[in-house]
Amino acid sequence: MPGALALQARDLRKSYRGVVAVESLDLEVEAGTVLGFLGPNGAGKTTVIRMLSTILRPDAGWFAVAGVPHDQPVEIRRRVGVLPESAGYPPGQTGEEWLTFHAELFGRTRDDAHATARRLLAEVGLAERGGSLISGYSRGMRQRLGIARALINDPQVVFLDEPTLGLDPSGQLQVLELVWRIAREHGVTVVVSTHLLAEVEQACDRVLILNRGRIVAQGTVAEVASRAAAPRRGLVKVPPEFHSRALEVLAASDMAAVAGDRDHRDELLLSMPAGVAPDKGASLALSRLLAAGVPVLGFAMEGGRLSDAFLTVTEDR
Amino acid sequence: MVVAERELRDLWLAGRGLPLLLAYTLLLSATSYLVAANQALNFLEQREAVSLTLQVAVAVGALLVLLGAADSVSGERERGTLESLLLSPAPRRALIIGKGSAALSLWAAAWAVSVPYVWYLGRGVGVVGVAVASSLVVGSLLAVFLSGYGLLISTIASSNRLSLSVSLFALLALYAPTQMPTAVQNSWIGELLLRVDPFTAGLRYLGKLVINGHSPGQDAGWLIGPVVAAAIAAAVALLVADRLTLHGGDQA
Repeated sequence: MPGALALQARDLRKSYRGVVAVESLDLEVEAGTVLGFLGPNGAGKTTVIRMLSTILRPDAGWFAVAGVPHDQPVEIRRRVGVLPESAGYPPGQTGEEWLTFHAELFGRTRDDAHATARRLLAEVGLAERGGSLISGYSRGMRQRLGIARALINDPQVVFLDEPTLGLDPSGQLQVLELVWRIAREHGVTVVVSTHLLAEVEQACDRVLILNRGRIVAQGTVAEVASRAAAPRRGLVKVPPEFHSRALEVLAASDMAAVAGDRDHRDELLLSMPAGVAPDKGASLALSRLLAAGVPVLGFAMEGGRLSDAFLTVTEDR
Repeated sequence: MVVAERELRDLWLAGRGLPLLLAYTLLLSATSYLVAANQALNFLEQREAVSLTLQVAVAVGALLVLLGAADSVSGERERGTLESLLLSPAPRRALIIGKGSAALSLWAAAWAVSVPYVWYLGRGVGVVGVAVASSLVVGSLLAVFLSGYGLLISTIASSNRLSLSVSLFALLALYAPTQMPTAVQNSWIGELLLRVDPFTAGLRYLGKLVINGHSPGQDAGWLIGPVVAAAIAAAVALLVADRLTLHGGDQA
């Protein structure tokens, strides 16, 4: 159902003993979106996820999940799947037993629950270990088991709160690839909270950045990146013997350029002139260098990436 | 039913149920041995020996129930497994009833273990039947009371340590009237306290049936305290179940 809203929130607020965790949050997420939910530690991401999944009651405001208003929490729970932050797992149960139990909690018959558990174990790559006690699982395996549990009720909206927390780089990539695959194959709305900005940049349709309980940026990755932190500097790599020549060419083009330090004699740091759009400034500089016969070995814009936007909008204001 | 079945399996197949029952059995064996076989210590007549063993069985069985209930919700909170339960559409009361069932099963097992000891100690004086039946009634009432109380504390406590501490403190307070001087116990206020306290009332009722040979109806008034306490604790635990939250305390 393109255009239908999977998540809506209006003026959502939550405080803990007078400390504001979430303040006046407004949100709209279309069905089928993969939303990267970003923010520094303590920004309120987990609180928002817990409110939207009905684990916490907001102090004020209104929200709906998959079209179900917040005053019907049981119906919302039937429609959402959640991988909680720092989820615990019963060490004395096998992965299959645990998933079967949760499938039964959602009203599935014993046989259906078993079949669903086995299907999901296979989907998250734990088919071989489903009969093993959870106490023997690695952290990555537990996270994958938690993702399987989040899918046990064929949810319309899946919340994954720090699914890569505590995993090594390879485990982080495995889990994120699993998340993207599930989002594609199940066609569900996915809200994923993570600190892996490069991966979010590649795989999320939209991004929402939260800081101190408030939304400080939201939109597509490109929108957020361009709006929040316009690039102002470029890094040009030229052969060392063309170093001086490159500096002369750039100076003649009203570009302020400085040489790299002793360890980076082949680099020039290029400052964009005020009033010139970064992309146009970069094109101008490169074309002048090439026209002057200076070989350009590499070029990169500093700023303008999601990570830069994140740092910009989450600075103390 | 799904939650109760899962909790029972966790307790008895993968949890602390069997070790606790083993410790209980060892304690009951030692008690029975001392009252039945040790010539130096065996100063009790047979009915008193049965009564003492029953009191140990009921008191320790109730303690097991209290420990199980007090750990049930707050323990899940600390182990991080409560959130996934709360994310299910299962009614909160069903979760609490399931956990209460597991805690009560500890008493059922403890009572079953006590039966052969009672039979051995009471054979020949016609007290086995009444001892077994009355311990089932009294112990079950106390188990329901302590299960409800433990679940209530565990539901609202912000930590497992707090839940266990408050629960055990309350149990000690319930034992306290048994330590009052005999003169105080025989005064009207002492007897009122003994009757209101479900623990002392239940144990007194057991003693009157087993030692004094009274009929079950003759001293039924002593069961009012345990019945009322069990009903109130179970009802309050179920009412508070609707307010079961992830953090406990006041962080709803």
